[in-house]
Amino acid sequence: MDNMKKTQEVLMNSIFEVFEKMFFVFLEPLDEDIRYDMVTSIHFSGPMKGDIRAYISKPIASIMVENMLGMDSKEVTDKAMEDCAKEALNMIAGSFLNKLDSKKVFDLSIPSYEKKTGKFSKSSDATIALIFDSDGQQMGIEMNMETKK
Amino acid sequence: MSFNVLIVDDSNSMRAVIKKIITISGFQMDKCLEAGNGREAMELLAQNWVDVIVSDINMPEVNGLELLDQLSNNDMLKEIPVIMITTEGSEERMKEAFSRGAKGFIKKPFLPEEIKKVLYQVIGVGQDGQYEEDTRSSDELDF
Repeated sequence: MDNMKKTQEVLMNSIFEVFEKMFFVFLEPLDEDIRYDMVTSIHFSGPMKGDIRAYISKPIASIMVENMLGMDSKEVTDKAMEDCAKEALNMIAGSFLNKLDSKKVFDLSIPSYEKKTGKFSKSSDATIALIFDSDGQQMGIEMNMETKK
Repeated sequence: MSFNVLIVDDSNSMRAVIKKIITISGFQMDKCLEAGNGREAMELLAQNWVDVIVSDINMPEVNGLELLDQLSNNDMLKEIPVIMITTEGSEERMKEAFSRGAKGFIKKPFLPEEIKKVLYQVIGVGQDGQYEEDTRSSDELDF
C-alpha cells in the first residue's frame, strides 16, 4: 500500500471513530459533490505540517449536537453547531496524528470556524478529499499535508 | 462521600458531555465547576475548593500544560489531582503532562467508562466510594 493510500485510510478510520464514539453518527463514503453550510479548519505542525478542513451541512451538524448533548432539534443553536463542528475536527486531527505516529509530538491550532455555503467536490486540489453520507446528510473532509524537509 | 469537580475545556459541548458522563456514571459529584481555559480555572480555584480537575490541553490563553505549571507552583493547589482529557495523545505529550503534574490521561474520543475509571483511580477511591491505598506512581496509572 502506498503512503498516501495508507494516510487516507488512517484519516478515514479517525473520522469514523470520532463520529461513532462521540456523536453516534455512522458515516458511509460517498462519490458525489455535496453542499455545505459551515467550514471548520485546524492546522497541525511537527514532523509534518498541514491543515484539515471539514465541510459540514447544517442538518448533519444539528444531528451531531442532538446526539452528543441529548438535545431536541428545536433546542439546537448555531453556537452549539459551531462548537460541535470545531470539537469534532479537533478530535479527528488528534486521533489521525496519533494513529499516524504515536511517538511524534504534533502541535494543533485552535480550530477556526466560518459559516458559509458552497459546494465541495472530491476533485479539490487537496492532498486528500473525502465525502461521507449519513442517512441522506453529507459532509466532506479535506487535508493538505507537507512533509518537513 | 462526594467530590467537587472542575472541568476545563474551551468547548461548551465537551464540558457538557464530560459533566453528563460523570453524573450518569454514578461518580459521587457534589459541585461541578466549569472553566473555558486555564486562566478561568485559576480564577475559580482562588475562590472554590475542588477535589479533582479534568482539563483539556489545547485551549486559548492558558492551555492545559500551562495550567499544570501554575497549579504546581501554588502551595494551596498543587495537591489537587488533574486528569488531562485531550486529543493530543502522543506518548511524548503524555509523558510531558505527567512530568508537569498530571495524574491521569484520557484520549478523545473516549468511552464513558474510561472517565469514571480514571476519576476513581486518581482520587484513590474505589468505585464503592471507599478510600483505597494506591501505591502506584502516576505513570503506572491506566491511560
